[in-house]
Amino acid sequence: MKICTASETISFVREFEEKAAKFYEELSRRYPEGEDVFLSFAQENRKYFSQIQRAYYSVITDAIEGCFAFDLETDDYALDTDLAGDTSYPNAVAKALALEEKIIEFYDVAADQSMSLMADVPRNFKIVARKRKERIPKLTSLV
Amino acid sequence: MAILEEPIKGVPMVKNYIGGEWVESQGEIIDVVNPATCETIGRVGISTKEEIDSAVKAAQEAFYDWRRTPAVTRCRYLFRLGQLLEENFEELSRVQTQEHGKCIDESRGETRRGIENVEVACGIPTLMMGDSSEDVASGIDEYLIRQPLGTFGIIGPFNFPLMIPLWSAPYAVATGNTIVIKPSSEVPFTQTKICELVEEAGFPPGVWNMVHGGRTVVKGMLDHPDIEGITFVGSTPVMRDVIYPACGNTGKRCIAQGGAANILVIMPDCNVDATIPSLLTSFFGNTGQRCLAGQNLVIVGDDDTFYNEFMQRVTDRAASIVVGYGLNESVQMGPVRDAQKKEKILNYIEIGMKEGATLRLDGRKPAKIAGDYPDTCFLGPTILENAHREMRIVREEIFGPTMGVMRAKNLEEAIEICNESPYHNGHAIFTSNGKYARQFQYDVISGNVGVNIGIVAPMAFYPFSGMAGSFLGILHTQGKEAIRFFTESKVCIQRWF
Repeated sequence: MKICTASETISFVREFEEKAAKFYEELSRRYPEGEDVFLSFAQENRKYFSQIQRAYYSVITDAIEGCFAFDLETDDYALDTDLAGDTSYPNAVAKALALEEKIIEFYDVAADQSMSLMADVPRNFKIVARKRKERIPKLTSLV
Repeated sequence: MAILEEPIKGVPMVKNYIGGEWVESQGEIIDVVNPATCETIGRVGISTKEEIDSAVKAAQEAFYDWRRTPAVTRCRYLFRLGQLLEENFEELSRVQTQEHGKCIDESRGETRRGIENVEVACGIPTLMMGDSSEDVASGIDEYLIRQPLGTFGIIGPFNFPLMIPLWSAPYAVATGNTIVIKPSSEVPFTQTKICELVEEAGFPPGVWNMVHGGRTVVKGMLDHPDIEGITFVGSTPVMRDVIYPACGNTGKRCIAQGGAANILVIMPDCNVDATIPSLLTSFFGNTGQRCLAGQNLVIVGDDDTFYNEFMQRVTDRAASIVVGYGLNESVQMGPVRDAQKKEKILNYIEIGMKEGATLRLDGRKPAKIAGDYPDTCFLGPTILENAHREMRIVREEIFGPTMGVMRAKNLEEAIEICNESPYHNGHAIFTSNGKYARQFQYDVISGNVGVNIGIVAPMAFYPFSGMAGSFLGILHTQGKEAIRFFTESKVCIQRWF
């Protein structure tokens, strides 16, 4: 589905950050060897959403291009969080890496599209993308 | 994407807020209709002269104590109000969408703008400071203090039910005045919600009053000897023929803000990618129902290739705008406020075509309305090319989602077109050239000037300027000018023997 408005973009961020948080909580239950990392990621996901939502509510005004700032296709950022019962630990981590890459790509694209149109919102997208990139080596080191 | 939950449930009766009490009007009752769904969402009374008199009396009675309340204490009420507005941000925004029709992003933007005015007014202990001079003559000192005047009337329009009354109200009460607000009876719920928060913030009864209604209330305010001044935002004919003369006749202070037909000038060196979303927001945002909306586009230069490519991109993007109910997060343009307003816009499109403009994008019947809603108040974006500076669609305010397109040989001619307009509210230029931008800003007659900004809405700490047919008065709403408007300067010269 195509999304163009800031409101639906923020809602989409809420959906996938929550979905990713639940995924990490599930990983923490299944794989005690990575529990601390997975739980901290789940917590961060919710914090990232709050950060972006706060930025949006702080800068949205009648004068900025909230209804026309984005041109995103949600299907491009569909997250695969299904875990089969017998998923191995390395495969679960690989799934987490794929998920992170997808989310980073979303934030980068959304930031580029809305740069100079949505004030602090794209800056916060970039911040979250940067922080998420730091997860890649952490995840890689788990296996 | 999901439809956000509607905050107004059932069909409640909207009451007046007078002297800290919620009072049902005894006047005629009219329906409040959601323009997207065409459902009646509430009822509001058209208040009587006695009811406006009662509100002014309550405000007058509250004034004595309120003006003696220290400014730091008065601003603490506003801090509390600001906090409550934040806590109720989403509900307030959805109320606006439900009763007005604008998209949820636009309503949230309006809420933020309203809160900004409360925040600025919280600086009243500093903003209200006077001046002093020691030894203006030997042993004689002189100083100026600012004092409140009494009760002010605030008359709001339908298009910004939250923000526009807050261009005045926080400054009026922060400076020690008391107020009576008359929201548009088309959109009475938003200010009702604000009054609930005023009550929760603990403002003393009578400081902040609200009376719903129409002409009777406006006339009651204008004629009332105990109202010291009026702030008004509405149409230019009412501003010019009713509000301003009446204030003059009764010796009231007046800020009167009227209509507009803003012109956006496109230089061929503009950043096209960034300019197009700005144009869409300016011309079609709020469904064109704002006094800072773009109404006419002037493309400068004789480069047909640039013109054709630029207009093709604008047209393609405009044609793809999602029209529907603003509580659907995917929607980019809501309905106009009512069927009469839609009819007026349709009439202007016909006039434009009769005068020789050509229809590039026909929005008279939207291609698609997202959701199963009647088309009673919906329009699509309309683009009319070959407009000319003498056409009515250029010179008169349409207040709808239309774009008249003109061409100019050079920047000088574009500025000339802007300056010939009867309105001078918010003209703008899009360019990457600083020299063009400065020339435009310097020469254009416009109270608010945009450079690569499509909606030239001043922040709360700047006045909402406007010139010529868009404004009558001297001082403007918002910021320091509002402080000046709501206070009287008293100069004291003292000598001690």
